Amino acid sequence: MTNTDDILTVSGLNVAYGESKALFDIAMDVRACQVVACVGRNGAGKSTLLKSIAGFLKPTSGTIISDGASLVGMSAFAVAGKGIKYIPQDKKVFSDLTVQENLELGSYASQDYDWAPVFDYFPKLKILIDRKAGHLSGGERQMLMIGRAILGGPKLLLVDEPTEGLAPSIVMHLRDVFKELAKKTALVVVEQNLPLVCAIADKVYALKEGRIMAELTGRASITPEACEQYL
Amino acid sequence: MAAMSFVRWWWGLLLAFALVALVRVFLPLPFANEIIIFSIYTMGCNYLLGRIGLISFGQPAYLAVGAYAAAFYLFYFGNNPYVGILIGIAAGFLVSLAIGPLFVRLRGDYFALVNLALSVIIFYLMQKVLAGITHGDNGLWFLTNLASTPVLDLSRPDQFFIFGFLVAFVIWAFFKYLDDSIFGACCLATKLNEDKVKFLGYSSFNIRLTAFVIANTTTALAGAMYAVYLGFVSPEITSPARAADPVVVTILGGVGTLYGPLVGSIVYTGMKDVLSKVFGNWELVIGFVLVFIMLAGEKGIWGSLQPLLEKMVLRVTGKTAERGGSGQ
Repeated sequence: MTNTDDILTVSGLNVAYGESKALFDIAMDVRACQVVACVGRNGAGKSTLLKSIAGFLKPTSGTIISDGASLVGMSAFAVAGKGIKYIPQDKKVFSDLTVQENLELGSYASQDYDWAPVFDYFPKLKILIDRKAGHLSGGERQMLMIGRAILGGPKLLLVDEPTEGLAPSIVMHLRDVFKELAKKTALVVVEQNLPLVCAIADKVYALKEGRIMAELTGRASITPEACEQYL
Repeated sequence: MAAMSFVRWWWGLLLAFALVALVRVFLPLPFANEIIIFSIYTMGCNYLLGRIGLISFGQPAYLAVGAYAAAFYLFYFGNNPYVGILIGIAAGFLVSLAIGPLFVRLRGDYFALVNLALSVIIFYLMQKVLAGITHGDNGLWFLTNLASTPVLDLSRPDQFFIFGFLVAFVIWAFFKYLDDSIFGACCLATKLNEDKVKFLGYSSFNIRLTAFVIANTTTALAGAMYAVYLGFVSPEITSPARAADPVVVTILGGVGTLYGPLVGSIVYTGMKDVLSKVFGNWELVIGFVLVFIMLAGEKGIWGSLQPLLEKMVLRVTGKTAERGGSGQ
């Protein structure tokens, strides 16, 4: 049953890589301006879930509904066009393009040329505007990818392992950015950093071997210990 | 500021074409005309390979489409070379648009080979299947059919050079404009990481298709110009033996660089012309040069010269580089 406040509803989702089944009967919902975290060990199916929502993987069965429209079978660029932006885990930017050109690509696709919010969140990008993205550090690349994705005011950001391999100071900065972003947009964050998850998430889905083991709702019940027991 | 940026935008273009004009002064006219046409031919291949990352061993197919479309008109229907060239461009555009949706789905080796297959198909169509119309290996001769045209008479090689020079200039400027546009950034982004382009909301298929059509229409234009310049077309134009020529010239000049096609065409045509007079197996030398270029870092002649020239310019002007852009 789809709640009218939900901007994303997933139900009965099954995904397989060839013969190998990766997700089993996943159900989740995301409301506007809600931060939903997916936690789990490596291979639990977290990234597969995000890729399925983003249109990169075709589910074998199940539904993914956003604003009353089914996303199943929709191509990845069409899903992005509906305001659902995927920020992948690998932190690979367009290395031969400058920061400015990377942002221009985001602007042209979303027809949003106001970069002020991007520079408010990440002032460093303004300084690095003429640098080739291939010469950025891991943290700066993550900033660029998030900055590019928020152009056009997406309704949902799918963020895959944003803090993996980053310095603690940058992780803290991203935590603050996610909190700010959540005032305007919903986020689904796949993350293994449980303290970060507990600091930002309104709801947590714990995944194990392709299945949702638990759904934790409310700040009080979202603790590292509570998450840990389902992993 | 605007004047400065205009000069910065155009100086390279003007310099490059001034060099080509010098070629005309010091070298025989047929050589200069061949360089001009070959550089247009290579610009299409260079765009596919350098900007979108699609390597094609079937560019002679599109060259033949443009050449035969122009030739059919000039042999059977009319005598205005300008109309012939326009028909060649239109044919190249329509053929690319028709087969592009099928071909650009393929990646890497398969894309290269499916184009080679198309080249072979067109070769045998023109040589055998349609021999009644194309006159098979004898080809279509229409040099004496060409009408004299006002302003620039394309039936005269000296005036054809001026026309070819202007066309090459416009095509070059068009590709530079594309490189500087958001579409150019999309092409480069697709080459670098196709999935990421989709995350941003672009259809990588549409980007590849558009680039494919632009590149092969340019190649067809070169084919139509060949037909008009020589007044003759035979299936040899799409011979499988010549399939790698534009790729070779692109790599020789420098893949993805704007000046690469010009430099590569001058060097390739020059080597062919000069070496073939003293050394029968000139292609052997080209082969060794290519191996050397690949081993030296795949940058090609222009790709290797560019950083040195930039250093020289910076030393002369005493300025520091402002920002890194895409290779020119």
